[in-house]
Amino acid sequence: MADEFIKGLGILTGSGLAWLVLASWYRTSSFESSQQLIEPLSSGATEGLFNIIGVTLMDVFLWFALLGALTFWVLIPAGHQIMSALEERRNAQ
Amino acid sequence: MSDNEPENEEIRSDGAGIVAPDDETPTWSERKARKTGLSRLTYEYFERARREDQDLRTESDYVERDVLAFPTWPHETVRNLSIASFFVGMILFLSATMPPHIGNPANPSTTPAVILPDWYLYWSFGLLKLGPLNPEIAILGDQMLMADRTYGVLANGVVVGFIAIVPFLNKGSARRPVEQPFWSAVGVFGVVFAFTISLLAIKNLMPMNVDLLFDLTFLLPFVFGTITYAVLKTMREGYMYNLNRRYYRLRPPK
Repeated sequence: MADEFIKGLGILTGSGLAWLVLASWYRTSSFESSQQLIEPLSSGATEGLFNIIGVTLMDVFLWFALLGALTFWVLIPAGHQIMSALEERRNAQ
Repeated sequence: MSDNEPENEEIRSDGAGIVAPDDETPTWSERKARKTGLSRLTYEYFERARREDQDLRTESDYVERDVLAFPTWPHETVRNLSIASFFVGMILFLSATMPPHIGNPANPSTTPAVILPDWYLYWSFGLLKLGPLNPEIAILGDQMLMADRTYGVLANGVVVGFIAIVPFLNKGSARRPVEQPFWSAVGVFGVVFAFTISLLAIKNLMPMNVDLLFDLTFLLPFVFGTITYAVLKTMREGYMYNLNRRYYRLRPPK
């Protein structure tokens, strides 16, 4: 269980940090804005190959952080619980 | 601690028998293959450290000490260096990738639009914004007993007073949250309330409805406290059972 926790936490923090940096580049007009990191894409964000890659990676990192944590903290432990429950039921019969 | 008497055939329960010799130290892949996981690794690490400590004590020039601990070099130093390196690296990384905009110099003749204390005082600043909770007393002709600002200052006294009282109500004998679910829930309530009241302090910067934020400020601490109490109460029986079993296996009563 501890192994699954640290995998989820590593994905959440590592990928979240990468998203934070990219979102501060492409979705932040000012660090004093109350909408920073979740603003619409700043102008010029889709010009040039590197910017397109950055904008794409920003979404990739965000979803990887959310889905990765969800997978290791919820889905996989739930799967283990289901498997052990099925195993117990099979042994009880 | 250093018992060098010839061992009898009884099972040693202090863990001394399971320490792997140097040439039998498992590789990472072997450790990964074990199903017992991190708890086993941690246990073996501490047993290994304890064994090294015991070997040191058996050397003739080693000064016996009362305190059993890890030596400053290399254990503590390596750990502290790695932690310090991590935070220094994080500061360098963030300052290189997200350099903050340097604003205009402060104008001493005008009041800034947004006035806020440092972030660790947001909770106190949020307590000054409890105006909607200040009751309008009917017998005073729907007037308030005190001004909103007085009410907020008194609220600080209530919070500080409660924090001061807690050590007298609970002596802190529990070493793990699961041993005292209620007081753990009180602690979680306090932490969550400190966070939500801090968010209330910056309500004009929060991208959400202010009334909803005000309600959530006082609702969320109760929600999280209740969840904590329920979870710990549920864990309690099985966890304590396993804990006691492990404890008595490590150090059996004389």
